[in-house]
Amino acid sequence: MSEAYFPVGPGLGMEENFLSLDDILMSQEKLPGRAESVLPRLAMLLGQGAGSAESIPEGSKLEIPLWLAKGLHDSKRRIISVELPKIFKEAWRTVFSADANVVDLHKMGPYYYGFGSQLLNFENPENPEIAQTILQTFIARFRRIMDSSQNAYNEDTSALVARLDELERALFQVGQKGLNDFQCWEKGQASQITASSLVQNYGKRKLTEVDG
Amino acid sequence: MEPAEVEFLAEKELVTIVPNFSLDRIHLIGGDLGPFNPGLPVEVPVWLAINLKQRQKCRLIPPEWMDVGKLEEIRDQERKEDTFTPMPSPYYMELTKLLLNYASDNIPRADEIRTLVKDTWDTRMAKLRLSADSFVRQQEVHAKLDNLTLMEINTAGTFLTQALDHMYKLRTNLQPGESSHSQDF
Repeated sequence: MSEAYFPVGPGLGMEENFLSLDDILMSQEKLPGRAESVLPRLAMLLGQGAGSAESIPEGSKLEIPLWLAKGLHDSKRRIISVELPKIFKEAWRTVFSADANVVDLHKMGPYYYGFGSQLLNFENPENPEIAQTILQTFIARFRRIMDSSQNAYNEDTSALVARLDELERALFQVGQKGLNDFQCWEKGQASQITASSLVQNYGKRKLTEVDG
Repeated sequence: MEPAEVEFLAEKELVTIVPNFSLDRIHLIGGDLGPFNPGLPVEVPVWLAINLKQRQKCRLIPPEWMDVGKLEEIRDQERKEDTFTPMPSPYYMELTKLLLNYASDNIPRADEIRTLVKDTWDTRMAKLRLSADSFVRQQEVHAKLDNLTLMEINTAGTFLTQALDHMYKLRTNLQPGESSHSQDF
């Protein structure tokens, strides 16, 4: 227990963790959608118009962040309807099932797993396939993350993590930490007393000069 | 658990020393030790052995498995088998590190021993990773691994449990069971 504080982790699955910074960032990702009814005076907010009194006509295409989409989505009062972003559509799903290791998940939206899980909240006939694809992608990429995180000691890992999304990066960090702890123990550094990282940046106090 | 904690647990193992001082039997909370007579071998826990060695009050006798021939056999058998072979001591990694760091003058061919133990460790870790990968790939519910030592479990454990947590949550996505938190206005 040498951590100074524990950040709240992302709540994976169809629930989000309210206090998790990762989840907050993830829900900012945009979804394509359509306005089902007229949205009065909201044109500027949603980036569609220039005047503060313009409204969004019915049926126009919008890019909505996830948090807004979840709030406005309701099958009874049809305000907006959402579509799947293209990486969760059929074409990309077959790419993932062919070989998930070559996909650059960081470029596809750095929160692939979290975002995909949140999409399952909207009713959509393709939901089971989406859920299956996300799971299979994770399983396929697991081996590579495990191998690269447990074997890269004291190297520059930026090439290895470049193609991982945030969830996988967190796992990579955990693997690295396990490896580093073990190596550090084996070298005998575990029993050396070192200054805590929290206080290393405090400058030494100097005597204040007093005039006169 | 940190490696230092696993090492702490390993220090309870008994090892033989030859003291150069004499002392009557001492009564500690964990048990009795001694009596110590110069030149007569006696079994003590590793923490005491290391301490005495650092104060130059004893000579360490390596455990019988810490021998080049025996370790070569163990390493070859580990490479042949697909499962984990029983290790001579459940704390072989920690004991090797401690004894070779503090008492390498009492242990013949210390460098070779270090290399052999490291080879065996690498083979076992590779097997562990292979087993973890097939576990995840087939989405098994439980797995049983015999003859793993605590240090190996500790090094690979956090990563594996976190990955399995994520996998579990992704799997529960597949059942859209009604944990309905939708509100109707």
